[in-house]
Amino acid sequence: MRYLLTVNARPRSVEAADPDTPLLWILRDRLGLTGTKYGCGVGVCGACTVHLDGEAARSCQVPVSAAAGKRVTTIEGLSGNGNGDHPCQRAWLEEDVAQCGYCQPGMIMEMAALLARRSKPSQSDVDDALSDHVCRCGTYARIRRAARRLTGGA
Amino acid sequence: MSTTRRQLLKLSAAGGAALALRVPILSAATADATASPAFAPNGWVRVGRDGRVTVVVGRSEMGQGVRTSLAMIVADELGAAWSAVAIEQASPGPGYDNLNTGGSGSVEEGWLPLRRAAAGAREMLIAAAAARWKADPSGCRAGEGSVVHAETGRRLSFGTLAAAAAALPVPKEPRLRERDELELIGTPVRRVDGPAIVSGAARYGLDVRIPGMRFAAVAHCPTPGGKALRFDAAKARAVPGVRGVHEVSTGIAVVADDTWTAISGRDALSVEWDRGPLAGLTTAELWSRIDRSFDGPMRRVTRSDGDVGAALAGAARRIQATYRDSFQAHASVEPQNSVASVADGRCEIWSPTQNPGRVQKETAKLLGIPESKVTVHVTLLGGGFGRRLAADYATEAAEVARAARAPVQVVWTRADDFAGDWVHPGGRADLEAGLDASGRVVAWRHRASTLHLSMFGPFDPKDVDEDSPWGGVDTPYAVPNLSVENNDVESPVRTGAWRSVFYPANVFARESFLDEIAAATGRDPVALRRELLSAGEPVADAKPWKLERRRLERVVALAAEKSGWGAPLAGAPYAGRRAGRGIACNIYHGRTCLAHVAEVSVGVAGDVRVHRIVTAADCGIVVNPLGLAGQVESGVAWGLSYALGGEATYRDGRIEQESYREYPVLRYRDMPEVEVHTIRSERPPSGFGEQPVPPVAPAVANAIFAATGKRVRRLPIRAADLAKRD
Repeated sequence: MRYLLTVNARPRSVEAADPDTPLLWILRDRLGLTGTKYGCGVGVCGACTVHLDGEAARSCQVPVSAAAGKRVTTIEGLSGNGNGDHPCQRAWLEEDVAQCGYCQPGMIMEMAALLARRSKPSQSDVDDALSDHVCRCGTYARIRRAARRLTGGA
Repeated sequence: MSTTRRQLLKLSAAGGAALALRVPILSAATADATASPAFAPNGWVRVGRDGRVTVVVGRSEMGQGVRTSLAMIVADELGAAWSAVAIEQASPGPGYDNLNTGGSGSVEEGWLPLRRAAAGAREMLIAAAAARWKADPSGCRAGEGSVVHAETGRRLSFGTLAAAAAALPVPKEPRLRERDELELIGTPVRRVDGPAIVSGAARYGLDVRIPGMRFAAVAHCPTPGGKALRFDAAKARAVPGVRGVHEVSTGIAVVADDTWTAISGRDALSVEWDRGPLAGLTTAELWSRIDRSFDGPMRRVTRSDGDVGAALAGAARRIQATYRDSFQAHASVEPQNSVASVADGRCEIWSPTQNPGRVQKETAKLLGIPESKVTVHVTLLGGGFGRRLAADYATEAAEVARAARAPVQVVWTRADDFAGDWVHPGGRADLEAGLDASGRVVAWRHRASTLHLSMFGPFDPKDVDEDSPWGGVDTPYAVPNLSVENNDVESPVRTGAWRSVFYPANVFARESFLDEIAAATGRDPVALRRELLSAGEPVADAKPWKLERRRLERVVALAAEKSGWGAPLAGAPYAGRRAGRGIACNIYHGRTCLAHVAEVSVGVAGDVRVHRIVTAADCGIVVNPLGLAGQVESGVAWGLSYALGGEATYRDGRIEQESYREYPVLRYRDMPEVEVHTIRSERPPSGFGEQPVPPVAPAVANAIFAATGKRVRRLPIRAADLAKRD
């Protein structure tokens, strides 16, 4: 079965025998977009977070058949120009957030979706969104600083 | 050290002052293709005609910032411009015989050898410039990527000098720069890998893609040591996109065009297992083996000062307590994986490994080829924490690639990663103290046992693992009669190194016990620690380490002062909750001294909130204060997951947990504020990756006692034990 998706503003056509193939593996193994990470495959770690029609979604829980016809944005496409200079990416660099860095694309995509939804999210909005993600290195203190930079919070 | 010399670096707000860096990161392939270095005086630093300085990093980057800190050391000693520095990751081979990343040794062990390498290169560049100018080399200085002649102000760039420098002899004993000549060391520098990470371009093991590569999932027996009785290969092969089913020594590999198909094919195998010798094994059985090892004398007395038996017998008062921690998974967010290509008597592996030398050695043995025919590329690691000192997931990729006759990426699922982990084994420690009539501690006995670490080899019936005494054998307190006795038990399950190994278990016991003595004798926990660190010999002998008690005492005093120890905890976050502070400290391997003060509150239901951790440390020269603060934050998070999060449990021989759902780790909303203070020191830097972990759990447990009067003697801490009962 062939599926048409829009990935990072480009139309892409992918073949998948199994309609339940998670979008995660289509991005990583078929389209070469390895910035979206595999962490748990059961939707509890958030490493695979992408935007689906602008909303944060766990790509390991989205069958390719459900993504067909939708707009998918990955970390590679977040800044629009591929330069990695979306405000979230800049804030993450300013605060030197990453340690191993593996979970950070998912964290950044989550934060970017939140900011797209509401320009001034409250601290509890941020807590709710980012607490669904796992960072085993424990970079949360710096993510908090980056989030404050982005939300203008104290 | 006088108080006037004690200069403190407050790091929590250091971000704004950091250098903005866009250091280009070369992959080994790019570097090989483009560098053809004009000047390569040793294996660690090269200078190109374009002035680019390539630093070869011989340690794995797993989040500890080693590609940044080691490059800073080289760049500063050389006099390179930081913006001209590129990183290349070393592979095992001639000149690179120890690339093992563990024990928090990267900066500590790299400090002098890397500076010598860079200083030699600097002297050669200076000599080349001096020859060009017919000047005295002593009148020339290297800095910002150039050599400058002080008298005339003439300047030649490293790139211009590279070819001439290459023709000069390598100095045997180059002069190392004085501390005040080092400009980059001690300044906050952002991670070199940061831009690649935030843009999604950073390549971890799981992101390796090579031409013709296939993907594999391997069905492992859920109980290590078991084997497959029956499986349906035909059904797996019938899944569209499956390319092959291969029996390998670790299980049954399904090779496919993509990861999902490989996993689906594996599911279709419907394997029936003979679960082997571990079938029926439970966590309770493991604990009972540990408990039985307390029945007789411990197999090794690792420290014996004075006569603890006589002192206990003569004590006016004796205090005893037993402490336990738990079995812990590593649970790095990147599951285990590797890519291998085997052809023409050679093997090439791409692996997120802490131990590429071991990968090379074990792969060569597996394939029956010389080590020189195995090339290991170290990718970025999506977390390591000791798990990746084992080579199992890399050799497995080589075996599958050989069977599949194609380059293969073996991907472990999250459940595979838990099931195949080399866990931190739980341990028990029995502590006993003898007090004289005035309440002075005159005797201290620490008896501990755990499982041996099977990651590093078979059980030795004649000896105890060298790392199981850590945190007990190096008890820093001046007690005249002190004995540390250790035992361990052959592990039937996979056990291994885990961030700071056995320090957390023993330091939890020791620092909690000291707090119990303070409570029992009506003394302040900080005052008692300072008393026991300012008494006795300034330096205690705890083979193989020397423990500098006064150095730790300064750190304890600093943590207490900065935390406002003694002042009430008030304000909105504490409303309606029982609140308290706790302190714990440790000397890691006789070097880094560190103390945490935890500010904690406990709700009616027993729910624990950690509000703030104030850390003080003395680790010699701080190479990168921004990186150091990150390691404290990270160590605090790790320690809080250990103290308050999940545990690995066994049922019918397998680890029951399969994801972060059953094995909770610290999340964003629960991260406390972390404040870091370091003592300025001119000593060589000592390790900092693991060091912040051990005192976290006891600082929290001691704070819980201060808040509730309830003593924690078992980790992880359970809310039900702390609930308020009327």
